[in-house]
Amino acid sequence: MDQLSSLREAILTGDAAAAAGATHVALAAGVTPVDVIADGISPAMAEVGRLFEEGEYFVPELLISARATKEVFSILRPLLATAGAKPAGRVLLATVEGDLHDIGKNLVGAMLEGAGFEVVDLGVDIPAARFVSAVRESRPQIVGLSALLTTTMPAMKTTLEALDAAGLRSEVKVMVGGAPVTQRYADSVGADGYGETATAAVDVARRLIDGRNLEQSGE
Amino acid sequence: MHDQHWNQLVAVVRGEVVRPLPTGFIIDSPWLPKWAGHKILDYFTDERVFLEDNFKAIDTFPDTILLPGFWSEYGMCTEPSAFGSVSVWEDNDFPFTKKVLRSIADVDALETPNPRKNGLLPFVIKRLQHLQPDIERRGHKIRFAVARGPLNIASFLMGTTEFLTAIKTDPEAMHRLLGIVTDYLVDWIAWQREMFPTIDGILLLDDIVGFISRRDFETFGLPYLRRAFDADVTVKFFHNDAPCKASAPLLADAGINLLNFGIQHTISEMRSWTNGQIALLGNIPPRDVLADGTAADVELAVTQMLEPLEDRSRLVVSCGGGMPPGAPTENIRALISTVQRLTS
Repeated sequence: MDQLSSLREAILTGDAAAAAGATHVALAAGVTPVDVIADGISPAMAEVGRLFEEGEYFVPELLISARATKEVFSILRPLLATAGAKPAGRVLLATVEGDLHDIGKNLVGAMLEGAGFEVVDLGVDIPAARFVSAVRESRPQIVGLSALLTTTMPAMKTTLEALDAAGLRSEVKVMVGGAPVTQRYADSVGADGYGETATAAVDVARRLIDGRNLEQSGE
Repeated sequence: MHDQHWNQLVAVVRGEVVRPLPTGFIIDSPWLPKWAGHKILDYFTDERVFLEDNFKAIDTFPDTILLPGFWSEYGMCTEPSAFGSVSVWEDNDFPFTKKVLRSIADVDALETPNPRKNGLLPFVIKRLQHLQPDIERRGHKIRFAVARGPLNIASFLMGTTEFLTAIKTDPEAMHRLLGIVTDYLVDWIAWQREMFPTIDGILLLDDIVGFISRRDFETFGLPYLRRAFDADVTVKFFHNDAPCKASAPLLADAGINLLNFGIQHTISEMRSWTNGQIALLGNIPPRDVLADGTAADVELAVTQMLEPLEDRSRLVVSCGGGMPPGAPTENIRALISTVQRLTS
């Protein structure tokens, strides 16, 4: 869809103003908000992810692409709500208690939004009890826990235990990530998924949603 | 650090082959107080606990180089505190610091702190001065001026997301910020050297370097690191355990001659990227192996790291990063003894 090529380019170069302009042009030309996501944002963010994985893009490039994407979503969100469009899934994201480092969470949030997920961003330094109440309020399919510090990683376990104690563990899939977190650590705390990078987190989220759907359909 | 370990370290940095290969670890508050049986806040606030814990590590691991040696620190709070950043202390958790810049426009109002009078920095110096007679009585000297690096401090002041976004969207403002931070850093290092003439090394820790491209490192990293390391000292030690392939070829241009890096890269890769100019301190996995593995896991990791290495010059065997929280005594001893057995 050529009407979205300038949007994709604006996201790739992290030009938020150009992305907003291209979105308005595309909508005025009759492109639906769902198509703006499917044919504009998603392929652009997938390309951003690929460039990051291949070492051509770094965190700043990811961040400004994410910022451009956020700008586009601020235009699309009211239109999507009106149209009753369904996201790929709802993900509750936050850094765990004691951890103020939001960069990993923000990157994962941007990549998930780019892939069509609805992201509920609780912010940073979130106690386990707040996760529990937020799961009850937002009813996400996935909870994403982020930690940048080795010293805050144990709060992931505490949060999982709190979800379990509240009887919510079977209702959500939990994915964990952050610089010091490894698959081994994720397994040790009983997480359902671990993403080494922000782009990997999108694949994990898709896998968890697919698995959850299969579980619910009884297959 | 006593003379023998310092001389070993200098020999490695100069490219001499040392047998057995030296081992060494960056030790600080995430590991040391809990390992020694104290609360983190007591370690920061009680000079006797600080001294006792450091000597306990030295006595338990006499054959390994503990870096930087008597690091008077307050976690991540030290350098940002001089800018007025709020430090948040927990009884037995790592402290953290809140950002002070709410918007990019705030950079223009930022003043260069005076390390002699602002924040926690006078406390850092005073603690070491109070303990210096005890330290020297045991044959040790204060060898390193230590600080977080310029990008790391800038990211604490602004928030990492905000800082890394702004180097793309507001590069001039970020140069002004990094200029102020580096002026302060240079002054802070100079004051440490002035107070402790035994200092003959600089350790800067800056993981943010690992998140940016080579081009951004050339623009926002290298000039500021070069200034910070621009001092007449023998060892210029840099810690970045985030991925550092992009910056590695340029680190020697900043004057760096000793590097502690993460587990994303092998010794051979790093040696190739740094053109063999920088001594390496690394890099078995700190958390999965040194902290959470068994002594046998450590032995295996060390063996697998060393066996393919034909050239064992410019190497101090360590973990890929600082000593991780929870690393047990037996695993650290396993690393040291395995290196001694394989390289004697």
